[in-house]
Amino acid sequence: MMAAVLAKQGKGLPSGEDAELQDIGFRSLDFSELALRVEDEVGEELNFDAPGLRQIHTVGDVLDFIEILISE
Amino acid sequence: MSLPAGACNRLVAGSFEGTWAELAPVAAPDASAFFVASHADALRVVWTHATSRPRESLIGSAGRADASLVDELLRTGLAVVDVDRDSLSVSPTPMPRPTVPGRLWLLTSGSTGRPKRVAHTLESLTTVHGRQPARTWLCPYTPGAYAWWQIVTLALTIPGQDVVFVPPDHLDSWADDALAHGVTAASGTPTFWRQALLRSGKALARVPLAQVTLGGEPVDQGVLDRVAAAFPRARVSWIYASSEAGASIAVHDGLAGFPEGWLGNRRSNSGTDGDRPVLSIDRDELVIASPHRGEGVDEFLHTGDRVEVRDGRVYITGRLSSDEINVGGTKVSASQVRGVLLEHPGVAWATARGRRAPLVGTVVQAEVVLSNPSVTEDDLARYCAARLSDPAVPRRFRFLDSIKLTGSLKTDV
Repeated sequence: MMAAVLAKQGKGLPSGEDAELQDIGFRSLDFSELALRVEDEVGEELNFDAPGLRQIHTVGDVLDFIEILISE
Repeated sequence: MSLPAGACNRLVAGSFEGTWAELAPVAAPDASAFFVASHADALRVVWTHATSRPRESLIGSAGRADASLVDELLRTGLAVVDVDRDSLSVSPTPMPRPTVPGRLWLLTSGSTGRPKRVAHTLESLTTVHGRQPARTWLCPYTPGAYAWWQIVTLALTIPGQDVVFVPPDHLDSWADDALAHGVTAASGTPTFWRQALLRSGKALARVPLAQVTLGGEPVDQGVLDRVAAAFPRARVSWIYASSEAGASIAVHDGLAGFPEGWLGNRRSNSGTDGDRPVLSIDRDELVIASPHRGEGVDEFLHTGDRVEVRDGRVYITGRLSSDEINVGGTKVSASQVRGVLLEHPGVAWATARGRRAPLVGTVVQAEVVLSNPSVTEDDLARYCAARLSDPAVPRRFRFLDSIKLTGSLKTDV
């Protein structure tokens, strides 16, 4: 899903999870879109406040966020 | 009492086909709110109101008669009458009062809260006067709506104005009715026309329309062009009218918006300019002083509709109250997003709204009905990105199979 968000803008998903979001041009709106894609996929309203957002700087942080979001 | 000038006009409403004068009158208290099962029942009430002793009436479709509204009407001194052909159920008011002769109450749609009652008379609802070309009109509006009254008063007061009413269960298939009854003029919302052209374009092309009218919602250039292409021999007009403001703007040049030169009050501070409504803008809001407004409505009515002035024309883009989407602190206009989507050649209908999202609070989500099924989400995202600021580009798209039509024939936004 993250790749799909980036692909819409002609960007690719980096191979490593350490890649900085800033460096790959993954912005706040992209992150929001990704969360909504997850919500649509799960088919139920998610609690976006649950995971906290302070630590999201890398691709790995995003993946962790999504994991927590789904498990809540 | 002399009969209205249109008494011999032909009406088609469900199983009823005849003239006004052939409608059976309704026996009910002089001051009554009527909730009707069909257009034919509503027309009986209109005829009774127009030809019997002075009455005070309200007409609404049966579906609008919820308990709180009925209670409110009873407490204002109106009997509440359910009309379904020969069946008449009368709830007398517990608070009787003198009838206000000739008063017609209209209920607003209530899309932005509880419906309001707006006071009119047959005279104030009659906004077309003088000789008119003979027409057979199609009326898809729900009984009691302002647009419904516009067509009904036309048929009541001007000879040669016949009307074919569309029952709610025929809204998807009215082309056949129109052909069968010789319809030559039709009025509907932009959403109504978009749906009709998408579903029944080929059948509609056989309906020999000489006049097509759009109103009740913002009218964009895309829908005007599609209607004009579908009915090349028709005059295509759009109107701005509401229960409160009355009929206020009529544009016949085939273009969206109205000329900027129409703004302004040629008689400063004197209200309306004869029979012509006076139009102005207060910040981004359309303000109208209309001789056709409801009784007790502010002379200079702030309509709640947002306008934009571009290249010498004034565009009415949507409701101020529902237009703004806050995307991470940036204000996005839902109507602007919708307008861009509607310009896409593969889009038949669209709407845009805010959707709760992490980090930015809200993002734009679009609902779309395609006229070209090969168009993809990425196509639309790229199209929008080339025309809108980044926060305004829809981040999620929902593709619907058909155009959603509310009871008032509008897009529910």
